[in-house]
Amino acid sequence: MVPPSTQFPERFLTLAEMMNISDQELARRKQILEFGPEDEARLQKLAKVSEEYAQEVIDAFYRHLLSFEEMKAFFPDSELLARVKAKQKAYFIRLTQGNYDLDYVEDRLKIGAIHEQIDLPVKFYLSMYNFYLREVWKHIFEIDHEHPDEMMEIFFSLMKLTFLDIALAIDTYIDSRERTIKALQQEAIRELSTPVLPFREGMLLLPIIGQIDSQRARQLTEHLLLSIRANRAKVVVIDITGVATVDSRVANHLVQTVDAARLMGTKVVFSGISPEIALTMVTLGIDLGPVYTVGDLQNGIEHAERLLGYRVEKVDEAGLPRETM
Amino acid sequence: MEVPILKQGDFLIASIQGALTDTDLTGLQEKLVHAVRRHRSKGVVIDVTVLDVMDSFAARTLRSITVMTRLLGAKVAVVGIQPDIAFSMVQLGLTLEGTITSLDLEDGIAMLKAANNKDRLGKHGR
Repeated sequence: MVPPSTQFPERFLTLAEMMNISDQELARRKQILEFGPEDEARLQKLAKVSEEYAQEVIDAFYRHLLSFEEMKAFFPDSELLARVKAKQKAYFIRLTQGNYDLDYVEDRLKIGAIHEQIDLPVKFYLSMYNFYLREVWKHIFEIDHEHPDEMMEIFFSLMKLTFLDIALAIDTYIDSRERTIKALQQEAIRELSTPVLPFREGMLLLPIIGQIDSQRARQLTEHLLLSIRANRAKVVVIDITGVATVDSRVANHLVQTVDAARLMGTKVVFSGISPEIALTMVTLGIDLGPVYTVGDLQNGIEHAERLLGYRVEKVDEAGLPRETM
Repeated sequence: MEVPILKQGDFLIASIQGALTDTDLTGLQEKLVHAVRRHRSKGVVIDVTVLDVMDSFAARTLRSITVMTRLLGAKVAVVGIQPDIAFSMVQLGLTLEGTITSLDLEDGIAMLKAANNKDRLGKHGR
């Protein structure tokens, strides 16, 4: 059984929720970096200088970035570049404004995810932190050059925070990549697992393997209907041995498939409902209605053969009937 | 657009040639019922191969043609529903229950013949 929470569309979740970053997890991450309230306080002292130099640092950074040939493709026009720069500036200023809570994390994750989506290599993404830290170091003593120790502490706090961000950014990259791979895999499985096989003249076999969701049910039904027309099928055997669970949604999809096939003049036989599924269906009060069901694929095919008027006969070596099935 | 009704032995064939308005549909219904009566037909085949839309009114009309002609002792087969039409009909809950459906004209006639034979055999108790 799939837990109900995974059935909700992902867009309703924040990135932090999708990546399982809760308040506890954030606290843990801070703990690992030894990032405490005193660090937050120190960082605020950087706010003024950060705002002052943000534009300059960003301009310098993008000049540096664009000196690499492969980076030019990412910023084809100046308008986009200006937008990215504005975002980046807001980001730098945000670093020194305190309140490093889940909203802050969400912001970071979004930026990471966007960069992942445009396929910006992670090495370039991280170079930004390197560049930024160095620039801050250059200017940090302008705040107060009489207390270098204190300035150093501030810088360490900033380093902790940037490492928190770096960890988040890398996690987003990994998470997005995993998601993409998973989606590709699922699509491949989907395509592989819904073959419509001509079994005899006028008979099609449709083994379903894996989960059935609305999208897949739709695809499957369309595929089946086209095959019915192409093969001039009269009977279809749908085998659901490979379907792990049948809930009311899945049952509804299956009934729709049967109805659509019937509109094209084709009878549908269902096979492969396991005892467990039968039990769940009865418990849930799911009714497949007029759908004809049999236990296993063999029965399904035999029934379909009867419907088509076939009789399968077993013969001996000489080709003489031995035993009828 | 007027739907021509052709007589073929015991059966009538209504071959739809293009998109139908609601008036066309009611016209077809009336004409078919009268034709069944006049020719003492055993079955009606409605060929919808060319239709690329089937709305609820059309589906309902097909249903009522089925019921009406059944009262006159004839069966109806709706043939040639296209895959995407079938799919959208099902989503709208238009499943044409009680109507014989089949892939094409040839199949439809075969199915009507089989259904009629079964009835006759059934009446004579095999």
